[in-house]
Amino acid sequence: MIDYKIKLLRPTKNILNDTWVWKMAWRDARHNFSRLFLFLAALITGIAAVVALDSFNRSVQQDIESNAKELLGADLVINSNKAFDAEIFTVLDTNTLALAGEMELTSMVLFKNSGQTRLIRLLALQGDFPFYGELKTLPANAYEKVKNENYVVLDETLATQYEVSSGDTIKIGKQFFPVAGVVTKVPGGGGLAATFAPTVYMNLANINETGLVQFGSRIQYSYYVKTNSDKETADLQNRLQSIAKRYGYTFETVQGRKDGLGSGFQSVYRFFSLLAIIALLLGCIGVASAVHIYAREKKEEVALLRCIGSTGWQAFSIYFIQIAALGFIGSFIGASLGIGIQQSVPYLFTNYLPVDANWPVQWPSVALGLALGVVVSVLFSLLPLVNIRFVPPLAVLRANNEVITRFSKVRVTAWLAIVLFPFLFTWWQTQNAVIAIAFIVALLLVFLLLSGVAWILLKSLRRFFPNKASFALRLGISSLFRPNNQTQLLVVSIGMGAFLIATLNVVEQSMLAQVEFTGNENRSNTILFDIQPEQKEGVLMLMQTHKLPVQQVVPIVTCRLQDLKGSSVEKLQADTTDSIPSWALSREYRVTYRDTLTKSEKLFKGNLQTRYPNTDVVGVTISEGMHENLRVDVGDSLSFNVQGVPIRAIISGIRKVEWSNDPPNFIFVFPAGILEPAPQIFVTTTFISDNAKATVFQRELVTAFPNVSLVDLRLVLGTIRQLFDKLGLVVRFLALFSILTGLVVLAGAVSNSKYARLKENVLLRTLGASASFINKITWVEYFYLGTMAALTGVVLSLLSGWLLTTFFFEIAFSSDLPELLIIFFSIVLVTMGIAWLNLRKVLNTPPLQVLRKET
Amino acid sequence: MEQQYVLEATSVNKKYILPNSELTVLDDVSFRIEKGTTVSIIGPSGSGKTTLLGLCAGLDVPTSGALALMGFRLNNMNEDDRAFLRNQSVGFVFQNFQLLPTLTALENVMVPLELRGEKNVKQKAKELLERVGLKERLHHYPTQLSGGEQQRVAMARAFMNTPTILFADEPTGNLDEENATHITSLLFQMNKEEKTTLVLVTHNLELANQTQRILKMKGGRLTEDVTSHSKTL
Repeated sequence: MIDYKIKLLRPTKNILNDTWVWKMAWRDARHNFSRLFLFLAALITGIAAVVALDSFNRSVQQDIESNAKELLGADLVINSNKAFDAEIFTVLDTNTLALAGEMELTSMVLFKNSGQTRLIRLLALQGDFPFYGELKTLPANAYEKVKNENYVVLDETLATQYEVSSGDTIKIGKQFFPVAGVVTKVPGGGGLAATFAPTVYMNLANINETGLVQFGSRIQYSYYVKTNSDKETADLQNRLQSIAKRYGYTFETVQGRKDGLGSGFQSVYRFFSLLAIIALLLGCIGVASAVHIYAREKKEEVALLRCIGSTGWQAFSIYFIQIAALGFIGSFIGASLGIGIQQSVPYLFTNYLPVDANWPVQWPSVALGLALGVVVSVLFSLLPLVNIRFVPPLAVLRANNEVITRFSKVRVTAWLAIVLFPFLFTWWQTQNAVIAIAFIVALLLVFLLLSGVAWILLKSLRRFFPNKASFALRLGISSLFRPNNQTQLLVVSIGMGAFLIATLNVVEQSMLAQVEFTGNENRSNTILFDIQPEQKEGVLMLMQTHKLPVQQVVPIVTCRLQDLKGSSVEKLQADTTDSIPSWALSREYRVTYRDTLTKSEKLFKGNLQTRYPNTDVVGVTISEGMHENLRVDVGDSLSFNVQGVPIRAIISGIRKVEWSNDPPNFIFVFPAGILEPAPQIFVTTTFISDNAKATVFQRELVTAFPNVSLVDLRLVLGTIRQLFDKLGLVVRFLALFSILTGLVVLAGAVSNSKYARLKENVLLRTLGASASFINKITWVEYFYLGTMAALTGVVLSLLSGWLLTTFFFEIAFSSDLPELLIIFFSIVLVTMGIAWLNLRKVLNTPPLQVLRKET
Repeated sequence: MEQQYVLEATSVNKKYILPNSELTVLDDVSFRIEKGTTVSIIGPSGSGKTTLLGLCAGLDVPTSGALALMGFRLNNMNEDDRAFLRNQSVGFVFQNFQLLPTLTALENVMVPLELRGEKNVKQKAKELLERVGLKERLHHYPTQLSGGEQQRVAMARAFMNTPTILFADEPTGNLDEENATHITSLLFQMNKEEKTTLVLVTHNLELANQTQRILKMKGGRLTEDVTSHSKTL
């Protein structure tokens, strides 16, 4: 034989200039859009969720940023829980500064026309509040009437609820006031506080007529200040510092309000960020899964192209171009859908946002969605598509020729990028590298655990194979470990979907549980406060008349700290190295005295002095948390100024207090036998079982004791529920897109194994198996698969949910077992359902068609 | 000097490594095929015919031995070089037609020349389809064509790049008798017109008898090389 040594001169082509590749990509794609439906669906839902959530976060942040001054209504607000001392005017120059005064207190209001009552927040205003933004009313001149006459205006929701309109009369304290109109917009929006206690606005000049300002009344005094520049605001704040320290005044600045609102929305941001990450990751799995199926279906065609002269890169590029182009189209649709969702969210949120929900399209979010979509589609399709390069042309003659696994730089790079991408995205979303690393490590662990579970499942099924079970059951189970089985891949994909969906649910439940507290008969649902000593018997009598249980009668004494561990409060405030917050030293404390602990408290350190032993030192207990603020521990000394009388005390114990449980609860509790002679007011609690009873009692209480306020916890609870139902709706609405992506992934994962079983089931049918028999074996197989995957995913989600709530959201962990069970069964059922849908195709395919194709 | 043999196999072996054993599919196969001749490879199932065809066309490489196609040593070439060589000089006709389902008949036929980067190939593709009697089916997709029609499209595609050698794997295996006869005559007629070397794998002795030479395979070995047409197999 001649030893041929002819060198082949093969021209190398740049793929970008290879018109054939582009032409083939288009020709092939024309008929493949339906095949790439899974790919598009996963990408669209993932990107839509990311864009919607990112837009939402940006919009709220932008609104807070751009309306900062309107949120406060002034440049600076000075607050005090007692009347301002005249000394403040040595600094506040009324000639150069605009000032507006305000008194805020809670009170009951009686609506004359209906006879109904309601706890409200009363704002008595003086001057030109607000300096920024506008207090809008209906009719427009209503606020002017308040400023100049004895009219009042009230929140629109309150007016609507109690059917009050201009010209009606309401009773506040002892006095009736005509209503001038309703408030439709107020700087800062009133926020959540306005939802629980709607506001009535009146002129400060008329406040004394109400009789609400008396001993023990909880009143907050404020001055709104308008300066000429930000520098002047900062200077003023500096000059006010020493007076503020001395008298316990606090400041609110524009920046502070912004930060406060920002941190208030922090958990929501974080939850939405998590949703975005999960949606995107599910989208990534969906993309990889769909392209994997697609690349498999294309094997024969690729083999033919290789056979007639295409290089591996040319074949790869045909499908890569398709996926990249579809990735862009999918991202565009996803981003548009995301914007649509974002535009609809304000309608659901409108009452609960601090600023007007007037949200423009967030182009950075759209750009992010488009970029992410293209990156995700390219990155996660690379691995399955790289295999196309290695399809042997011989597969055109022998269909069972497997793709050769060769070392490929592209494959290694793709793997690295796939691990790096979720990390970088999580880092960017959370702005925290540690969280991002933890998140990725957790995901890898879940991946490994799921693979492990699949491995154990296969091993144990082989080892404990039910030899005596029915034929269908045996066939179904043995399908799990058939050659080229997809069991491991399916368990990982379905399990990962289940894990992410269940994690989302656990986090959602934990967030909702933050405010979910339920009332029962052992707990009070109505609190009456500001009861003067002379009114105590009368109020208790009224409660008895209405057959209401008196669950607590708690005396409240107001006092201030005088010294702490031997240093006077003044000295501590002057000490700049001391880290005790000024507010904790100068505030007015509302304390009580008793000889026992309540149901909502536990003593976790020291002792409880039940009764003052007539020695020099009184043993008081302090609530956990506050002892850290004041830097005190058991045995430390302190003294109180109780209405001018100094009382020396030591910290005898520290209590852990569940503040939301059975209020009122207190920071300091004195023993019995020392504060009884001090001027005091009372709070009492009761349980009212039904609305009608509550209405009658409230009406009589307001009539007989106008200064006594009543908090109906059922109303508060109802409002919170309503709020969270609405918030929950938004959260679920947005989470739905993550879940939808998960379902698409699930469909992809099940479809992955479709072709393996198509042949097998057709063969069984040819041999005479009935449709129900084939149904049975498929259901057995998928039941096992779904159960193992979903169970592992859901169990792991509890762990990840705990980690996330504890370290990421910093809230208490809570889960809802019935909901997790619903998720578990749904995933099993969906897996079986999708299997059945696939099976329908198998049942409808004539056996001959498949058999002929295989010959 | 013009190369006399378009295909030359020397001591070709092909083995597959199985988990616990080794499977020899081709065992020391040697032969030469002259340009312009027609050759058929026959033998029982599992005798190695299709494997040999695949190796000869450069779809795979032998475990040992040498294979030269058009003067190029296939063993020394990488996958993409072999693909280029196929595109330049080889045509294929398969038993199950192997048309790209997403392309029309015309587009399927255009692929080999488009792949070379040639322009204005439509006219040639139309002419070829007209020659195989599918003038009216240019824009039909494979699923809209009968088995016989699909095979005719495959033949038009096989001749599109004016191949020096044409490999046909059971070209009539999936067709009824009438279509098989039609395809066979078309194949030989076009082969004659284009002066192509034809190598076909078949079970059909009647078809094999129409070629100038028959290579008989059994158990992976070339057992007989019949060049006389007078001998009945």
